[in-house]
Amino acid sequence: MADLGAEPLIEGVPHFGSPNFPATAPEGGEVQVISSGWKLALREFFSNRLAILGLVIIVFFVLFCFVGPLVYHTDQTNTNPLFTDLAPTGGHVLGTDDNGFDELGRIMAGGQTALEIGFLASFIATVIGTLYGATSGLAGGLVDGILMRIVDVLLAIPYLFVVLVLATKYSATVIEESLILGLFSWQVSARLVRGEVLTLRVRDFVVAARLMGASRRRIVVRHLIPNALSVVIVNVTFQVADAILALAGLGFLGFGLQYPAASWGDMLGGAQNAIANGYWWLVYPVGGCLVLVVMACNLIGDALRDAFDVRLRRR
Amino acid sequence: MTGYIVRRMIVAVIVTIGIAAITFLLLHALAASPANAVLGEKATPQAIAAWNREHGYDRSLIAQFGSYLGDLAQLNFGRSYKLGQSISALFSENAGRSAYLSGASLVLALIVAIPLGIAQAVKRNSPGDYIATTLSFTLYAMPSFFLGLILIQLFALDLHVLPALVSDNITTTWGAVTHPDQLLLPVVTLAAVTVASFSRYMRSSALDALAQDYIRLARAKGLSQRVVLTRHLLRNACLPMITLIGLSIPALLAGNLFVEVLFNYQGLGLLFYNALGNEDYPYLLAYIVLGGVLTVIGNLIADIAVTVADPRIRLG
Repeated sequence: MADLGAEPLIEGVPHFGSPNFPATAPEGGEVQVISSGWKLALREFFSNRLAILGLVIIVFFVLFCFVGPLVYHTDQTNTNPLFTDLAPTGGHVLGTDDNGFDELGRIMAGGQTALEIGFLASFIATVIGTLYGATSGLAGGLVDGILMRIVDVLLAIPYLFVVLVLATKYSATVIEESLILGLFSWQVSARLVRGEVLTLRVRDFVVAARLMGASRRRIVVRHLIPNALSVVIVNVTFQVADAILALAGLGFLGFGLQYPAASWGDMLGGAQNAIANGYWWLVYPVGGCLVLVVMACNLIGDALRDAFDVRLRRR
Repeated sequence: MTGYIVRRMIVAVIVTIGIAAITFLLLHALAASPANAVLGEKATPQAIAAWNREHGYDRSLIAQFGSYLGDLAQLNFGRSYKLGQSISALFSENAGRSAYLSGASLVLALIVAIPLGIAQAVKRNSPGDYIATTLSFTLYAMPSFFLGLILIQLFALDLHVLPALVSDNITTTWGAVTHPDQLLLPVVTLAAVTVASFSRYMRSSALDALAQDYIRLARAKGLSQRVVLTRHLLRNACLPMITLIGLSIPALLAGNLFVEVLFNYQGLGLLFYNALGNEDYPYLLAYIVLGGVLTVIGNLIADIAVTVADPRIRLG
């Protein structure tokens, strides 16, 4: 079996492994190069109109939040008591807030922290979850049982409340906030990766790799993680959305980033007074941005899940 | 069947002990001893050491965890030194109003989401389906406090038909039940967020059920659409909802927190918010234990209810 194709079976006829195999080009009908699973998934993803909409929204907000401030200069560190709560005018496109900060500039600054923390927190959670899930699935037996019961326990504890309690002490900077959010939200990806690993590790190509003497590390890094990646990627997008929502919740309750760092949740913290006074520009633009970004992440996540799901694929 | 329930209950007890262990460790890391809260920030180290010895805070971690578990088993959640009250008393005083808020919005959410999901599945890809899907996608991405703000603006500030805040006079659960106008906005806010996720599940589960042979058979027998939907589709499509209700407890608790803060409704969530400001860690961690235990119980009841409701699981 191992030396199949090592020698030509019939002299002069191209064989498996020789440079001009197969001898004849396939003919007739529509012949396509068989795409890899990833290419198929990508094609499927880009044929989904909602996915494109989600991508466009995310790209827009990345540009708006990170490039916008270079074009639209505002002072977001020094308060300006003479110009508080101004209605939108030419100078301040979305007016000013209670501290005299330009609201549009503040939305950009808050968007930066939301996107940074959203991606960083979900990255942290995904790395922890992937390693934990892969370890648990590979170890099997008692270790797997214990590790998964720990996940059960952590899943049963209401995530937002633990994060809030920790935020009373550590939530001043982007890094701290990402760590808090990431360290308590890896359980779902751990469970997903473990499930994938359990089904993958008995598949033929993994068994073959093991028989060929591949180290455990190599099997994990070369075979298991790349093949479990699709579930992880789908989960990442939902995790970004969850992290941004949780961050907004922390900010709204007043346990977000330390002033004067901006976050969308903090900006909505005073929204009740703002609407009572009729300062609509302090509430709806920032709330709308929050909803759009979270919705875009969910749209991308749904489309990715459909694209990776072989059963739902049209071809 | 009985064996399954017993096994599930044993796992639930183990998970509960795990929850207690984690909250104990968190409490220990954040506020190892309440001595400072009792004796004040300027207490001498000798006084603190004496207080710790007297109340058992100088023992080993394992011993402290043992008595923590023992207290929890007797529903003794410790003491809020900031409020000078036992936490169990605070819970029993406020739980009714929070449970009423969650319960009423859960019931309202189910009343809306189940027919909506079925209607969307039956008339799939119609303009109505698209509108409902867009709406639920938007609500799904919306924090409950932002939705609440929009509703306050609309119904309290613009139309003047409902109060923007729940009145301070609502101090009992009975008061909350008998003043529906006060509670309408909070309940609708929490329910709308829940409908957003429930209706999506309901739609896809109804779509699955619609493709089954028994629906085709019911139609072939000449049954009317109404009978097919209410007798054949509804029961089967609702099965996943049982699990979903069990899983929605953490979301309801979180929703309670934001809605109670936004509408200034006296409940466990508002207490939690005040405790955050006071750094009242015994109350905060006790509430997390309560939330964790409710989550475990919710999942357990949902699992058992599904086996009772679905003979394929019970007998298979």
